[in-house]
Amino acid sequence: MSFQLWLLRLKQQFWRMSLLTAIFYYLAAASVASALFAVTRKNPVHSMLWVLALFLHVAGIFLLLGAEFLAAVQVIVYAGAILVFYLFVVMLLDLPVEVERPRFGSHWPVAAAVGACFAALVWLAQAPMRHPPGIAPGPAVERAATGGPARGSLAEIGAALFGPFAFPFELVSLVLLAAIVGAVVLARKRRALS
Amino acid sequence: MTLPVDAIQGLSAVLFGIGVFGFLARRNIILMFISVEVMLNAVNLSLAGFAWFLDDLRGQILALFVIALAAAEAGVGLGLVIALNRNKPGAAVADVTKLKW
Repeated sequence: MSFQLWLLRLKQQFWRMSLLTAIFYYLAAASVASALFAVTRKNPVHSMLWVLALFLHVAGIFLLLGAEFLAAVQVIVYAGAILVFYLFVVMLLDLPVEVERPRFGSHWPVAAAVGACFAALVWLAQAPMRHPPGIAPGPAVERAATGGPARGSLAEIGAALFGPFAFPFELVSLVLLAAIVGAVVLARKRRALS
Repeated sequence: MTLPVDAIQGLSAVLFGIGVFGFLARRNIILMFISVEVMLNAVNLSLAGFAWFLDDLRGQILALFVIALAAAEAGVGLGLVIALNRNKPGAAVADVTKLKW
C-alpha cells in the first residue's frame, strides 16, 4: 500500500469518527433540550410534540449504539403507538381550563432540586459500572468486522427472544393482555348502581 | 467509533433527572405521565449504552421489555385518567382528593 493511499484512508477514518461523534453530541443536546421543553411547555399538545422529538433523537442514539431493532421499535411503538394514544386522550379530555392554570406547583424548586439530586445519584451509583475492572469494553462494531451479525441486529435479537428469553417474552405478552383488560375495565362507562 | 461511555450514561442521568423534575413539578396528570415516559427513555438509553460497551445483548432485550411495559403502563394510566375525567372534568392532580365518589 502506498503511503498516500494509507494517508487517505487514515483521513477518511478520522472524518468518519469525528462525524459520528459530532452526530452523537448533536443528538444528546437535542434530546436534553426537547426533554426540558416537554416538561415545561404549558400546552399539553406542545409537550407531546417535544416528547416526540425526544423519542426520535433517542432512536438516533440507539442507531449509533448499534441497536437497530431497538431504534425501529422506539419509532414504531413509542413515537407511533404510545404517543398517538396520549394525543387521543388529550383530545378526548379537552383541557381548556388546564392551560389557564399555573403549569408548576409552588413547590417546583424542590422538584428541580430532587431531579438534580436524582441525576447525580444515578451518575454516582453507576461510577463503578461504567469502567468495570477486568472487562475491556469491546464495541460491537469491532466484533462485527471479524464476522458474524452485529449485536442488536434483527437476527440476534430474534434468536435471543425465542431462545434464552422465551419465558420472559411470553410473560410480557401476558402483562400486555392484563393491561388491555384493565384499560377497558377502567375506562368503561359504569352503569348506575340502583 | 469511540463514543465515550461517560457521555451516554451522563445523558441518561440528565434525562432521568428532567423526568423526575417533570413528574414532581407538573400539576397535570397527563404531563406527569409524559415525564414518566422521559424517565423510561433515559433508562432505555442507559441499557442500550451498557449493551454496546459490554458487547452484551441482554441490555437491549431488557430495553425491549421496558418498552412493552411502558405501553402497558400508558394503557392502564390513561384509562385511569379517562375514568377520573368522567367524575371530575379536567386533569389536575390537585382536584383528585377522594378515593371514591
